[in-house]
Amino acid sequence: MESLDKQIRDKARELLTSGAFACVMGYERATDGKTARPLFAYTPEEAERFVFDQYCTHNLARYLINWRDNKKSVGIVAKPCDTRAINLLINEKQIDRSKLYVIGVACQGIMEVGWGAPTEKLELRCNTCSEPNPVLHDLLVGEFKSESPAAAKAYADVAAIEGKSAEERDGFWQEHFSRCIRCYACRQSCVGCYCQECFVDELDPLWVGIKVAPAENTVWHTIRAFHLAGRCISCNECERVCPVDIPLSLLNRKLEKDGLELFQFQAGMDASVTPPFATFKKGEKLGTGD
Amino acid sequence: MHQAISKQVLKAWLRDMMVSRTLRQAQGRLLIAPVAEAGMVMYRAVDKVEDIVFKFANTVLSPKEFFFPITDTLFTLRQKDGHPELVTPTMEKDAVLFGIRPCDALGLKIIDRPFLDEPADARYKERRERTTLVGLACSDACPECFCTSMGTAPDDAANVDIMLTENGEDYLVQAVTNKGKALLDGVALKEADTVSTSVVTPKKVPAENIGSAMLKAFDSLYWSRVADRCIHCNICSYVCPVCYCFDIRDYTSRGEVQRVRSWESCEAAGFTKLAGGADIRPNKGARMRQRFAHKLLYMDKQFGNLVGCTGCGRCVKYCPVNIDIREIINDVQKMAVEK
Repeated sequence: MESLDKQIRDKARELLTSGAFACVMGYERATDGKTARPLFAYTPEEAERFVFDQYCTHNLARYLINWRDNKKSVGIVAKPCDTRAINLLINEKQIDRSKLYVIGVACQGIMEVGWGAPTEKLELRCNTCSEPNPVLHDLLVGEFKSESPAAAKAYADVAAIEGKSAEERDGFWQEHFSRCIRCYACRQSCVGCYCQECFVDELDPLWVGIKVAPAENTVWHTIRAFHLAGRCISCNECERVCPVDIPLSLLNRKLEKDGLELFQFQAGMDASVTPPFATFKKGEKLGTGD
Repeated sequence: MHQAISKQVLKAWLRDMMVSRTLRQAQGRLLIAPVAEAGMVMYRAVDKVEDIVFKFANTVLSPKEFFFPITDTLFTLRQKDGHPELVTPTMEKDAVLFGIRPCDALGLKIIDRPFLDEPADARYKERRERTTLVGLACSDACPECFCTSMGTAPDDAANVDIMLTENGEDYLVQAVTNKGKALLDGVALKEADTVSTSVVTPKKVPAENIGSAMLKAFDSLYWSRVADRCIHCNICSYVCPVCYCFDIRDYTSRGEVQRVRSWESCEAAGFTKLAGGADIRPNKGARMRQRFAHKLLYMDKQFGNLVGCTGCGRCVKYCPVNIDIREIINDVQKMAVEK
């Protein structure tokens, strides 16, 4: 079988030669010569730089919002979790499926990376992955997997936090939130955080002050997590980019776990399914008790 | 002959700094030093010498955060006996910053210009004047750093008060300034028998005449192409030892006003939004160019013979999408030649 790199380059070249595409997003080698970074190819020549391997960690669907108003189509290289992010954007009517070409990659898992520091350790999202094939694609590259990995261990770390007392949980999060420098890299890397004006930037009303302090930081992370409830597709980019290593996936996957248990819903699996928080059914119980 | 301090005496000296020694330093000093925290190394105020990390590459955030903190209350305004009272905070005691790297010490020297040129920033000025910098020479080059291209070196003592260089079981000691000499007063130094410090050679970047090259590359489409992958988070600015942009807001509650200053970044959307809604740099390319032009061109134009980068490499290491200032400097030089 042809290499992933070649299949992606061939398709990207074809799309860019057609004249209907403004750009194709994929990955190229980073300046450390080992890891990968996003590449936006505008010409068939630039498409020769595309690569794909276990270090292509970025969720490129995050950039699709920037192309929303472009008349031409765009192409995107997407891992299975990234395709769920694309479904989220389609479902929320942020992007037009007909102007998008998805090169879906059935991936073998992504390794933890830092600049100049590729590892052989599988990322958390891959360890807890339940869908190793793209849920949406126009071209599939890579080996389609007929079996889904067991997702039993998906929430073991979340359950461990749930098992703690309220005081312990508060202590745990205060310790992590006190380190936050409010660079907003978590928001900026997130597919779901596409608001034109984020609540944290609003001045009137002022939801969160500019002080970088435990109270403000807690409000920031708590509200962001709730805004992603039923929407987060667990690509875990927020945790990867955090320069001070705040375990944000615990918050996001707690809400994902609740969504699964209460509504049997997982975001981004199918763009045509309306998410629980976007529906109201007559006779539906309010609250989560009984 | 080189003066040296044994590791044991060094620890005793650091311990001693925190407690009262002289009448003038009756309270002892605040000691800020690198410590391990959640798997990272950060500068923190310490109360135990045992917490200090002596072997580290560099910290996640630069020590600028102790002179220009991420959040700073500039003053508090309140009512007292029917009259307004303005309270400005001051340092409780003098401080010692232990373990600063030469790149970060250069960073402070650079931001001294915007903060200390008259009218000086009172908060920054007090912290600079009342803090003694004890430098620690690098014994290894980080893969991302390039300090020798930016006017400093792994053992550069120019911007600290005392410089320490690991030398076998001891540290070589250079008392650079009077402030440094005062801090070493009464400390049992010895003469180094032999000198065997490590030779550290960071990678080079073609930074000569980068300002004029930036001018030539200024209108290039290049900036918006680099900005394509930028996610416009503030990491590069926040880990940088030089970036000094901030935002100021007033906190009001129960008849009290606090004026608060927090870090901001030119990369953030809305950073240049003005009253009335106009935005000077509304697109990503303009914001991307701003950060590099400020460092490589504007600082020099404004202050003369100054580049706003120390080669610490933090932005290279922590950028989530690999926007690499070394690659940008290379590309800008190439564009300048082609033009």
